[in-house]
Amino acid sequence: MSEEQQIKPVALNVSGKTLAMITGGGLVGGALIVLGAIMPAEFNVDPLGIGKLTGIGRLWAPPEVTIDTNSASGPLARDHATAPRTDVIEIPLTDFLGGAKGSELEYKVGMKAGDTLIYEWEAIGATSENDIAFDFHGHTRPEAGKEMTVASYKQGRGLSQKGSLTAPFDGIQGWQFSNFAEGPVVIRVKLTGFYELVPAGEEGNLAGIIANVPASEARPGLTP
Amino acid sequence: MRQHHFLFALLAFSLIAPPVFAHAIGGRDAAFVQATVGADPFPFLYLGAKHMVTGYDHLLFLLGVIFFLYRMKDILLYVTLFSLGHSTTLILGVLFDLGVSSHLVDMVIGLSVCWKAFDNLGGFARLGWQPDNRIIVGGFGLIHGLGLATKLQALGLNKQGLLENLIAFNIGVEIGQVIALSLILVVMTLWRTTKSFGRFAVAANALLFLAGVVLAGEQMAGYFFAGDI
Repeated sequence: MSEEQQIKPVALNVSGKTLAMITGGGLVGGALIVLGAIMPAEFNVDPLGIGKLTGIGRLWAPPEVTIDTNSASGPLARDHATAPRTDVIEIPLTDFLGGAKGSELEYKVGMKAGDTLIYEWEAIGATSENDIAFDFHGHTRPEAGKEMTVASYKQGRGLSQKGSLTAPFDGIQGWQFSNFAEGPVVIRVKLTGFYELVPAGEEGNLAGIIANVPASEARPGLTP
Repeated sequence: MRQHHFLFALLAFSLIAPPVFAHAIGGRDAAFVQATVGADPFPFLYLGAKHMVTGYDHLLFLLGVIFFLYRMKDILLYVTLFSLGHSTTLILGVLFDLGVSSHLVDMVIGLSVCWKAFDNLGGFARLGWQPDNRIIVGGFGLIHGLGLATKLQALGLNKQGLLENLIAFNIGVEIGQVIALSLILVVMTLWRTTKSFGRFAVAANALLFLAGVVLAGEQMAGYFFAGDI
């Protein structure tokens, strides 16, 4: 038989059973890939929960729009129907050997545009200015199909910060803290003003920090 | 014996590459297109060729089409039909502001990959209904062109020199198609002469089918969830 004859067929002729298996398998397998991996990673939609289970969903991030944080316009005085709240949040961080899961975390509170809070935080247990890196920022709540507005207030190293913030948009505002010290530290954040705490596990408090309890009880997931 | 590795690499890439790669004009290229005023044929020629060579959904469809085409005459016939369809809707779509959601168009392109794989497996023959391949390939060409027309419009092309730029872009598309097709053809021809072709032809078309489902599903998800961004 010549080479020419061997390669004659214009199409394959697989059995009906094979054909059904290929098309059925292709549809089911393709649907699994789309629902389980592509949708969580690209669109923040996770119908099967596989994105959360595997961490693929964490790949999703909305496009960001950064706003200018050095100028703003708005009323200088505002009345509020509700009373201001006050919270003390003690955030335990492991030493840097504890890895990102222990030595870094993000703590934010929910605020409406134009609302103000007064803050004061200090790192207890750290000695050098270089031990603690902080990133004071805020953003709108990430939503599939929408750009995320981001405001970056201050990034640096230090052991404390005192000041006030008026939220430029509805969203979450707060800090990313990283401990580079050789020992564990506690960041004590004192807040007063018009804001709300973010429930544990939601964007802004993924570490599940509990407010107004001592540091030893504030981070249930952390094993020292 | 190794030629099929290329094929699998191509298929694997189609499964993991981000959707932005497929048939889109992005980044600096998009900025260039937006800034252009007047006829500027060579850059548009290049962009057209680039669009074709890097559009993997498009390449998968071409791979499916020439899978069992051996004679140069047949290949030229189908590629010409496809190009005619592609060119018609690309130019008319932009000139007359016709456009549909690019996600929907790309979804049909994914389905066109499935269709061709099913056809290659002898599926239509088994169903006792054999559509005329020439009409189908030409029809998919029309849809592929419409998809790109929609994307070009979204960039806000300048009216000055529009037709010249579109024609240049379209010639680029054909050049890119010839380049891509030549590469696929070389690999296919080498592969067909090996024993592994018979063994892997079914598997390759099964993978093509799967890739088509993924491409279509990805675009369907994009249509519902990607919003305006």
